[in-house]
Amino acid sequence: MQPLANVTPLKPAARAGAIEVKNVGQVFKTRSQDVVALEDVSLEVKPGRFVVLVGPSGCGKSTLLMMMAGLRQQTSGTITISGAPIPQPDPDRVGVVFQEASLFPWLTAEDNVEFPLALRGVPRAERRAKAQDALKLVGLDGFGGRHPHELSGGMKQRVSIARGLVQDPPVLLMDEPFAALDEQTRMTMGDELLRIWAATGKTVVFVTHSLTEAVYLADEVIVMSARPGRIVDHLQVQLPRPRTYEMLSGDAFGALRDRIWRHIRKSA
Amino acid sequence: MQSTFVINLARIAIIIAVLALWEVLSRTGIVNPRLLPSASDTFVTLGDLLQRAAVQKDLMVTATEVLAAFALAVPFGAVIGFLVAENRYFADVAKPLLFFAFSIPKSIFLPMFILVFGVGFAQKVGFGFFSTIFIVIMSTTTAVESVKVEHLTVARSYGATPWQTAFRVYLPSMLPVLLEALRISMIFNLTGVILAEMYASRDGIGHQIATWGENFQMKQLLAGVVMVAAIAMTFNELVRWVETRCSHWRM
Ligand SMILES: Nc1ncnc2c1ncn2[C@@H]1O[C@H](COP(=O)(O)OP(=O)(O)OP(=O)(O)O)[C@@H](O)[C@H]1O
Ligand SMILES: [Mg+2]
Repeated sequence: MQPLANVTPLKPAARAGAIEVKNVGQVFKTRSQDVVALEDVSLEVKPGRFVVLVGPSGCGKSTLLMMMAGLRQQTSGTITISGAPIPQPDPDRVGVVFQEASLFPWLTAEDNVEFPLALRGVPRAERRAKAQDALKLVGLDGFGGRHPHELSGGMKQRVSIARGLVQDPPVLLMDEPFAALDEQTRMTMGDELLRIWAATGKTVVFVTHSLTEAVYLADEVIVMSARPGRIVDHLQVQLPRPRTYEMLSGDAFGALRDRIWRHIRKSA
Repeated sequence: MQSTFVINLARIAIIIAVLALWEVLSRTGIVNPRLLPSASDTFVTLGDLLQRAAVQKDLMVTATEVLAAFALAVPFGAVIGFLVAENRYFADVAKPLLFFAFSIPKSIFLPMFILVFGVGFAQKVGFGFFSTIFIVIMSTTTAVESVKVEHLTVARSYGATPWQTAFRVYLPSMLPVLLEALRISMIFNLTGVILAEMYASRDGIGHQIATWGENFQMKQLLAGVVMVAAIAMTFNELVRWVETRCSHWRM
């Protein structure tokens, strides 16, 4: 863990950050038929936990994340974040990091990070200071003046993470944030994310298709089945932290990955 | 640095070469100077013409018509284009029809404009408007479609109001495409108005050019061509300059 005493706005949040999903279902009404995307999904995430969602393509991972972010309403059931329902996006409670290309290309890295603050009319100086802190936290000190097209894929995702953190929400939702990166960058970004997570104490819900990434990052892995999406397993990853590259070849790691893979193969 | 300098030099060299060739062809009589007055004569005539009150008045008339047609066609077309892009039902119905309309050469409707509006201001503005609106509609549609869903979702997830979304996401996303549209629309608009003036009109620079042509006043005719070309290019370059300033991030 790195010393971050002078990063004022990003202090660990106290008791906030719990997520509760109870009997949630989502039905999409399309022209031809009703698509049941999620059925009776229940899960609980304690504050400060790193939870990874995996499951076959189309099982409803993004849909579930969108509902936790208040970007979409469930058809049935309840979702609470920090103890309250989330009928619309609330950047004070939830930060979202999207897959890729979600940065505004016409804004500099700094202005991208400031965007959420600018929307709420935070004064310029305060905005600057907070954006600087967030950029420092993700390891992009000194790159604030660059436009996205002048940054590598990994750096762009760091900016996205900084944007998600800038308002210091207790919960960070990440939908395949590293999917577009090459494997080496992806590994490094995983380590970086764990460092940031440890420094800030956020609750993280992270979606990925990589089982290795899932086990490597997670405290808990939630496995979902193909449509209609349901939770088929919820496993605890007891590996010690900090996680290291050597663990990837260990028996404990392999056993967890195999268990997840068997679920996914069954439902695919 | 070096290479842009060399490229600019090459461009200037080409322009000078074309003017020199023009001068030589005319002076040596390879091309009959009555058909092709020399470049220098043309530019002297141009200087004369620009000082004549009648020509200045014609230019003003044309400029007024062009601007009026433009000021009507751009917002009108933009609103329709926006509705087409944003409304699924409207898009399904209107899009193919607009493509049909766009493919028709607008000039064949000119006689009808004269029958409806008579010869005058309304006919020329009307025809300029008609020549321009389809390209404005289509470009606006493209511009709206160039707004990324991801960006809209980001704005929504950080609690942007509709106004904030319009000004902080739609507008900057669309700006490069819109400026390009503005530039191209002006080309269509100018073509429309001048064509209308040449076809049937009592004033305007298009009418003057047509008259000079009919009277075989080649010097004036060429000077008129150079004049209109220069005005069109100036506007075009101006918008292009703004364009590059606004869309440096599109690389
Ligand atoms: N707006 C929508 N209208 C209709 N169906 C939808 C809509 N959004 C998602 N779906 C359907 O809901 C299901 C879940 O989609 P979702 O995007 O959540 O899956 P996912 O698990 O994130 O998939 P992937 O791993 O490919 O990202 C899919 O079958 C999808 O086709
Ligand atoms: Mg998804």
